[in-house]
Amino acid sequence: MEQLINPILDTLLAAIFSPLAYLEDLISAYLPGQQIAALAAFALYVLVILGGGTAAVMSRNLVRAMLGLVLTFLGVAGMYMLLASPFLAFMQLLIYVGAVCVLIFFAIMLTKNTAEGEEARLPSPVVGLYGLLAAVVPLGVLAPLVIIHADKLPQVTYGATDTRLLGEGLITFDVVPFELISIILLVAMAGAVFLAWRRRPEAGNDQ
Amino acid sequence: MSTLTLFFLASLLLLSMGLAGLVTRRTLVGMLISVELMLNGAGLSIVAAAKCTPASEVHGQLSALFVMGLAAAEATLILAMIMVVQRRFGKVATSEISTIQANKSH
Repeated sequence: MEQLINPILDTLLAAIFSPLAYLEDLISAYLPGQQIAALAAFALYVLVILGGGTAAVMSRNLVRAMLGLVLTFLGVAGMYMLLASPFLAFMQLLIYVGAVCVLIFFAIMLTKNTAEGEEARLPSPVVGLYGLLAAVVPLGVLAPLVIIHADKLPQVTYGATDTRLLGEGLITFDVVPFELISIILLVAMAGAVFLAWRRRPEAGNDQ
Repeated sequence: MSTLTLFFLASLLLLSMGLAGLVTRRTLVGMLISVELMLNGAGLSIVAAAKCTPASEVHGQLSALFVMGLAAAEATLILAMIMVVQRRFGKVATSEISTIQANKSH
């Protein structure tokens, strides 16, 4: 039985994968294999960022916009992995997907701004035109500059960053920003509690 | 086209999408989402610049971490502000909130 099936399977697999293999041969004539994998991953992450960002910006439902934002964060985390910075990728997931998105979800829910809120209507054509300009003008100015000038910089091939080095940096040369950011977080938290404090009228007499 | 250029273009994409959202969104929450998009682009470009050039990669990654911390603090404060605005005006549409005075007289 096996002797009967195996050649058929082989032929099927060959029919499915031979165009792919041909394509791979064609590409690997120009690029080494690892670079192809990196480029493919980069293209995938760019697609994820593009799709998620479009949903985050265009969706008329703010909950969907937030889910698009989560997708974008995942794409950027993938970019960090491609840049051989695994610690940053995990921090991206932990801080952005774990904390910031939950905060945004709270904001959406506290303002009851889900499907039939203020965002449900499309923006007026004038505002849409302004939005298009706001997207295209910086892109049109900065992208040529990046393409012209970034290639002139000396480039290095990088390996994965040792997380120990990041920790050592936090207690040596970056110790002042590290302490400042903790103060900023504390102030932001205290400010948020102060702003959101609701003094109950009937509780005023007890205090 | 070098690796650095590719990553810079990706972060430019995030920047322009965030700017478009900032202009077209009608509520504060939508604008907060757009600002987070732009901050992500900033972090990505910092890390790419630190990793692909001979600059100190530890410095770059720590800067991106600080950007993340600032984004978290900023989101916390904006959530509180959105709550205050919602309580005072009853809505968070930016076209309705055109006063900066403490009292309600326009």
